[in-house]
Formats: sequence, C-alpha cells, structure tokens
Amino acid sequence: MMPIWTKSGEKHAVTLLKVQDCHVLRYVSKEESGGKTAKLLVGGKNVSPFSKPESAHEIFKEAGVPRKQKVTTFNVTDDAIIKPGTPLYAAHFRPGQFVDVTAKTIGKGFQGVMKRWGFKGQPASHGQTKTHRRPGAISTNQAAKVYRGKKMPGKMGNIYRTSFGLKVWRINTKHDIIYVNGSVPGHTNCLVKVRDSKLPTYKDCNKNPPFPTFFADGDEELPEDLFDEEIFQFTDPSVTFA
Amino acid sequence: RVSSDGKPPKFQPPPKPVIIDRKTQKEERRFLSPEFIPPRGRTDPLKYYIERKDMIQRRKVFNIPEFYVGSVLAVTTADPYASDKSKRFVGICIQRGGKGLGATFVLRNVIEDQGVEICYELYSPRIQAIEVLKLEKRLDENLMYLRDALPEYSTFDVNMKPVPRMDHEEIPVNKLQVRMKPKPWSKRWERPKYNIKGIKFELPEHKMKAAQKWSQPWLEFDMLREYDTSKIEAKIRKELSEELEK
Repeated sequence: MMPIWTKSGEKHAVTLLKVQDCHVLRYVSKEESGGKTAKLLVGGKNVSPFSKPESAHEIFKEAGVPRKQKVTTFNVTDDAIIKPGTPLYAAHFRPGQFVDVTAKTIGKGFQGVMKRWGFKGQPASHGQTKTHRRPGAISTNQAAKVYRGKKMPGKMGNIYRTSFGLKVWRINTKHDIIYVNGSVPGHTNCLVKVRDSKLPTYKDCNKNPPFPTFFADGDEELPEDLFDEEIFQFTDPSVTFA
Repeated sequence: RVSSDGKPPKFQPPPKPVIIDRKTQKEERRFLSPEFIPPRGRTDPLKYYIERKDMIQRRKVFNIPEFYVGSVLAVTTADPYASDKSKRFVGICIQRGGKGLGATFVLRNVIEDQGVEICYELYSPRIQAIEVLKLEKRLDENLMYLRDALPEYSTFDVNMKPVPRMDHEEIPVNKLQVRMKPKPWSKRWERPKYNIKGIKFELPEHKMKAAQKWSQPWLEFDMLREYDTSKIEAKIRKELSEELEK
C-alpha cells in the first residue's frame, strides 16, 4: 500500500495489484453453463505443472498456456467474448474506473466470540467467576432451541470477500500494475480477482474502455504510466492555493 | 649496494605512487536518506523499486536536503486558510519515521510557552520549501524525551539565521546532556530499552539500578534480529546516483 496525493493536496491510500500472466482459458456459452450470460474462464499466475495429474492440465493444453495457480469465471455479454489463449494486461482497466476486488481474507484460525463477532464479553473484576470472554446467553426461554446461524466461536477468515466500488487511480503498463483506492481483502502477495464494479452509482462511469480487452499486439501505443486527472504527478511543482 | 658478478645492479623501477581518491571515498560515505532502505518483509522488491522511482521523480523537482534527528529545520507548507496561503514552522527534528513515499519527520518547538510538535510528510506536495538551519546529529536516534525535558532545550528562535557550514566538514555530533523536569515522565526514559545517552539523569543510584532489572542483554546477540543493509544500500546508492544525474 502506498500514499497518493490529489491536486488539491489531499492524501489517499492506495493498494498495488500486479497482473501476472493472465490468460483466457475457455469460453462457456449461455446454454452450456445454464446461467443468464456466457462465461469466460480466466487463469492467473504461472505455476509448476508437476504437482498436479495430467487430467488437470486439459484446460491449459487446449488454450496453449502453462498451468495457472487460480482459475476464475467472469460473466460476460456476448459482444465481449475473447478467444481462449489471449493474454490479459493491466491496460484492460483505465484510471477513473471503479472496480470490485475479491480475495480470500487472512485466516485467523479458531477464534472466540469477541474477536470473531465483536461481542463485548464480561467485566474483568467485580466477582466474575471464570467468565470474561464468553458469549453469555445464547437463546431465550420461549424459543426452546438455538436458532440456526447463531454467532458462536469458530474458524475465522480464509473466506472470499469483496470490496466494492474502489477507484482506479493509476495504471503502470510496463510492469502491469493497477493502483486501486483503499484496502483490499487478503494478505500481501495473495491472488485477487478484479472486476468492473456492479454498484448502481458507478454503472455509467466507464467512458471508452478498451473493449473487449487491451490487445498488446494491436496498434495502440500506451505511455508507461496512465494517471487519473486528479492525481498530483511528481513531475509538477508543489501545490499552491492561489 | 653489493653488485653481483661485477655488473651494475638490476634496474629496480621506483615504487608506484598510491593514489588515495578522496572523491570516491567521500561518495561512499555520502548520506542515503533512511526512507530509501526497504524494511525486512515478504513484499515483492518490485513495489519498492516503483516507489523509489516516484521518490526520485519528486526529488528532481523539489530539493529535500540532508538532515538528521537533532537538526533544526524550517518548513513552509501551502495552507488554504492562511492569509498568505503559506505557513512557516521552525523546529528541531525529533523523529524520522516511515519508509518509501510515506516517510515523515516530526519537528518540535516551544512557542509562547506552549510545546508544539508537527509531523510532516517528506514527499507531500503541500510542502513548498525545507531549509536546514542547523545541521547536526545528537547522541540518540529519537529525541522524544525532549517532551519531558526542561523547555529551554526545545525552544528555537523562529527567525533564526541558517548556521553556515562548509561542504567537506564532518557532521558535528552535539554531545549535549539534557536536564529533565521532575518525574512523572511520559515514558520511563531511564530503562535500558530506550537506550538513551542524551539525558543527564539526576535520579538516585538505587532507582538507576532498579531500572537495569528490565535490561535484555541477550538482544544484541540475537542473530534473527540482524538486518544487514550494506548490499541493499550499495545497490540503492548506485541507482540513485544514476537516476539523479539524468
């Protein structure tokens, strides 16, 4: 995570996400998948092919791509279908876009009710016998049962969670890095899924994105760094309020 | 010299002069700002490389001078609510924290009997000028104990003139031992964990001995805590000198 300053001098914290060896693996049509839209299987981050049996390598062999650590699905409209085997780059996103980021949260293991659900516990003194971090009462008398989903101690973390509506401030095309506002679930160097935001406020914010994606062998020559309009670039002199 | 076989002695060429290149020696010793050295961790070095590129970019446009904890600085920042739209603050640097773009330094001064500390970010675009009025080092890396010292040690004249200094001089170390206000202090500075050399402790002997109970003499021999930055520093110095010359 890094600080970033706007032209008015305000500071925002930014997370760096690297797009490492992403390829489209397979196209699944609407009828095949049984959903409402077509799906594209995308894999990221190359990994050794020797730790899995040959049967697991079929998808990667069809696409002509080394084995990937993670394979995710994206729901795609029919006009945005990409041929399997095309690489995906960070330039697929543009600064000023809004993005949802999904990842597995940091695993905390088996945790008690105070850390997992934020219960208040009991006082440390004034006669409490062996009860300081316990849940207390778990149901009423009339119910005569404990409801399903009752908050109790258990394994915390290591589940998929999404941060919605994160602004993309800057894109580095040379190293394929996306600068995304705020924090993102997951530990450092974990695998992350970045998707266009589904929030209704940001439905119309993508003006002229590269559609269906940014092709590296195309005619477009992008500069090394793409900045949002409001970012303070370090080539400018210091900010003054006239 | 005794000649062998009556022939003249074999020609011994004169010894080659040993050239001590003071310029390269000085460059090796030159100051590397502490926020360039990456902390120990499992982050990808690419992240630090990219951050350093941004820091170098900022340093090309805006001059961040060399300073240490204990030097007196004057900082002018842009302020939308001031009449001149800029604010100037003079103070002694008591702490330099943070790594990379988020590096900060805290300046302390006593203005009209009120102690004031301001934490500035080195790479913030709101900073318009940083002048070093007095460049010196102190006996400690962290001068937070000045909060519990007598106020005369933290007062600096707001209209102080910069102290002139030659380029090749070594940075002076001020071996001042500061006198403290009566206890209680904000932290127990006499304890060995803070390892403070810049305070003149006027506590009774038995209190100083009792404070040594919290010493951890095994810490300096702990090999897992060692972080050798010499190779990393050399690489970063080379990178910096190449980029700043462009």
